[in-house]
Amino acid sequence: MLTYIVRRLFQLIVVIFGVTIITFVIMFLIPGDPAQLLAGKSPTPGKIALIRSELGLDKPLYVQYTRFVNRLAHGDFGTSYQTDRPVSAMLRENIPYTAQLALAAVLLELIGIPLGIYSALRQYTFWDSAYTTTALIVWGIPVFVMGLFLQWLFGLKLNLLPVTGAGDLAFGIFPNSWDSFLHLILPAIAIGLVEVAYISYMQRAAMLEVIRSDYIRTARAKGLSERQVVFKHAFKNAVIPVMTIAGIDLGALMGGAIITEAVFSRPGVGQMIYSSIGARDLPVVAAGVIFSTFVYVIANLIVDLSYAWVDPRIRLEE
Amino acid sequence: MTEEVVATAGEGAMEVKPLSPWADTWRRLKKNKLALIGLVIIVIFLLVGGVQEIANLLGPQNASETATAAQRPWWQRGYLAPYDPNGGDFHAGPAGPINPPSMKHLLGTDYLGRDVLSRALVATRISLLVGIIAVGIALAIGLSLGPISGYYGGAVDSVVMRMADIFFAFPYILFVLLIMTVLGPGFRNVFIAIGILSWAGYARLNRGSVLSVKQVEYIEAARAQGASDLRIIFRHVLPNTMAPIYVAIAMGIGGAILTESALSYLGIGMRPPDASWGSMITDYQTYFFAGQWWMLTFPSVALVVTVFGFISFGNGLRDATDPKLKE
Amino acid sequence: MDELLLDVQDLSTHFMTHAGVVKAVNGVSFTLHRNETVGIVGESGSGKTVAALSLLRLVPDPPGKIVEGKILLKGRDLREVSNEEIRAVRGNDIAMIFQDPMTSLNPVFKVGMQIAEAIMLHQDKSRRDAWRIAAELLAKVGIPDAESRVNQYPFEFSGGMRQRAMIAMAISCNPDILIADEPTTALDVTIQAQIIDVVREMQAQYNSGVILITHDLGVVAEIADKVMVMYGGRTVEYGPIDEIFYNPHHPYTWGLLGSLPRLDLVEKERLTPIKGQPPDLLMLPPGCPFSGRCGYERPDECPLTMPDTEIVGPEHGVRCWIPNDERVSARSALPRFVARSK
Repeated sequence: MLTYIVRRLFQLIVVIFGVTIITFVIMFLIPGDPAQLLAGKSPTPGKIALIRSELGLDKPLYVQYTRFVNRLAHGDFGTSYQTDRPVSAMLRENIPYTAQLALAAVLLELIGIPLGIYSALRQYTFWDSAYTTTALIVWGIPVFVMGLFLQWLFGLKLNLLPVTGAGDLAFGIFPNSWDSFLHLILPAIAIGLVEVAYISYMQRAAMLEVIRSDYIRTARAKGLSERQVVFKHAFKNAVIPVMTIAGIDLGALMGGAIITEAVFSRPGVGQMIYSSIGARDLPVVAAGVIFSTFVYVIANLIVDLSYAWVDPRIRLEE
Repeated sequence: MTEEVVATAGEGAMEVKPLSPWADTWRRLKKNKLALIGLVIIVIFLLVGGVQEIANLLGPQNASETATAAQRPWWQRGYLAPYDPNGGDFHAGPAGPINPPSMKHLLGTDYLGRDVLSRALVATRISLLVGIIAVGIALAIGLSLGPISGYYGGAVDSVVMRMADIFFAFPYILFVLLIMTVLGPGFRNVFIAIGILSWAGYARLNRGSVLSVKQVEYIEAARAQGASDLRIIFRHVLPNTMAPIYVAIAMGIGGAILTESALSYLGIGMRPPDASWGSMITDYQTYFFAGQWWMLTFPSVALVVTVFGFISFGNGLRDATDPKLKE
Repeated sequence: MDELLLDVQDLSTHFMTHAGVVKAVNGVSFTLHRNETVGIVGESGSGKTVAALSLLRLVPDPPGKIVEGKILLKGRDLREVSNEEIRAVRGNDIAMIFQDPMTSLNPVFKVGMQIAEAIMLHQDKSRRDAWRIAAELLAKVGIPDAESRVNQYPFEFSGGMRQRAMIAMAISCNPDILIADEPTTALDVTIQAQIIDVVREMQAQYNSGVILITHDLGVVAEIADKVMVMYGGRTVEYGPIDEIFYNPHHPYTWGLLGSLPRLDLVEKERLTPIKGQPPDLLMLPPGCPFSGRCGYERPDECPLTMPDTEIVGPEHGVRCWIPNDERVSARSALPRFVARSK
């Protein structure tokens, strides 16, 4: 286990190093003059000169890169030229909303596990084929189409739920009122439903494979009840691979959050990025992207470590 | 010795009926109705998108400057649709520009009086291009690095796989956003960005297969005959590790279409007036909530059905090629 | 003769697939007594494994179904009992050892737990006692250091040790009947002999009846008292071990024996593989499944109807259309049997 953790942490360092390099390349090497780009749409020569000296753009590349990483490490993402505010402050304001949405979506996503298992156990029945077909269709629905449809159905037609904005927060990321909770429902479903479909499909496939395996036959031959066979012997084996899939899928979820926030005009990191793309407010977009990637990488590490903890083959590996 | 004999006596002496792998896959795929529906959708999508691309290539470049697109013969219009997808008509119907579906405009007209069917048809081309170009780029990178990494192992393998880790760690739609912010909008850039950022999956998949095929006898035989490494990799190893890649291609095209539509929805893919399904959806959403449902519904349906086609076929192909699921 | 444990009569198990009905087991009958070992022999697809799984009603349903016959365990028909009752039989009265020890143990649970589980299920034992018994059983089947081995996971065991653990699990509830489905096929030759020894020792200790399923007549020769030869879902020949080896009557049995290497022959002989392909279970002829590969075939009878059992020796039956005297003369013309005129 220790070896595994060390190896995984080393991998994390490599990945973060790679991510900063690629971001650096995109921001500083692809555009002809990064200072001009970073200074915004109507830069004064003075401002450009200031940025240039601040970023050390006249220095060799490795110095520029070191400074870039150093600034990131200190949480300095530069200044938005749309609002003239430090990007780090904007990020701090928006993170709780996105965290709330992502967490709600992940919780929703977990429903996919029992659905997939149930479907696998009912293979060859009408229920299973109906569910599988539905899951395949939902899996391919873009988040924004889902969001628009939900807004139309629950907001416009049924007038049940609020369709824009977000309520106030308490204790960091929790809704502070019933109304605030209601604001969360549709955006969470817009992201979560697609993920539920995907995860349940994967869970069904994993369960089908496990239930046909030799050790399940052994468990049955021992005289265990079907319930013990499924929930004790099959469950753990079938959930382990889906955990990794769910971890990787967090990336899609981060992307989905941006789009969902745009559809529902909800504050958050995604909304922040979205409203900055049109104006090409590079510091803001870059900060949002780097932050999201960081969260994704860390979340994946946690998933992998818990995976290793559940699976003895990895836990006891030397 | 004993084992060989046992094999002759019991398990394998009698050859199983030779069924080529493709015939076998097809036989199993045929039983999966969802996969077949997916295949039909894909074929229709390829036909419609392909025809639009051909029309675009024949294009308006040799047409006379004076005539509007609708007045030219069809092979010079640059599209194949009942109406000019970008040509507005404020008298498209009795209600002015915006008209619900009718015999004249099967899917209705939009706020500029443009024919929704024509726009949706032409937009198919964008989705086709993004699928082919993005996945093509990703494959080109992934299928060169993956096999080499798996075949040579060691340091080469470590470097390539750490690189793959890095690219795999991106929520890549976000990085496409970043690139688009730097480069500015434009759909060619979207294709290339998606392709460059998504190679890691193919490389990993293929490396795993190569590792498992590497030790098999026929590779040993090729090596014994003195075939060069590169020849062994691309002539002998690669063709035998393709089944999971075909599945990934189907899923990848579906994913690329989804990503492009999301980017267009956010306003950084297609530039108006040209249509992609995503940009149509973002364009028409306010009308949708005002009750003029047809503009948004049809591109949405086209998008969902197409992506479903690829996912469904991909899943069916995986089940059909997975040796673990053989009866 | 010892107590009659199992009396299988006319057992048929079919699979209802999209392509049609697969008659995996077709009218199979045999008996098993205490302290007796019955070998079921045949190539893959002969229905031997399905027959064994049918005894415990472990054939996956759908698509499989036991369509006919009786499975009398000490007089009680296991086809008739409730699901709960059959679960009480599994692992307790009849236990099973499977072919591939690498995949037959659950990878995410400790070996001790997988054995103790069966003990706690069928006997009134505490968790602590069950684990202690599990360790004792592991020691009994020849695993050194059993006390600490119970706390290990299957992937920490070698193939041979896993199969020993499977045997420990199978004997944990002192079953009357032990079914071993190709217990040695996936193992190294040196390990094979050890595993067979363990099975034999355990049988002696617990007075069980053993059903050994294999395609390897060599293994059968070592351990079995009676042999049943299966082909295409049917029993084509059965009898005491000596009868099958020295007086085989079915051409398929000749084929199996002919492909078995022997060291006792002075002259070097070529092994003769059985010609042709194993039968397609979807398209079995109504008659003898071996017709078409047999070589002695009578086209008017063989493919059309299955012959009745003909008694050709003590407890020795064969189902074949070729008249007895013709069979004997055909057999003595085979190289292998020329050298072995008794």
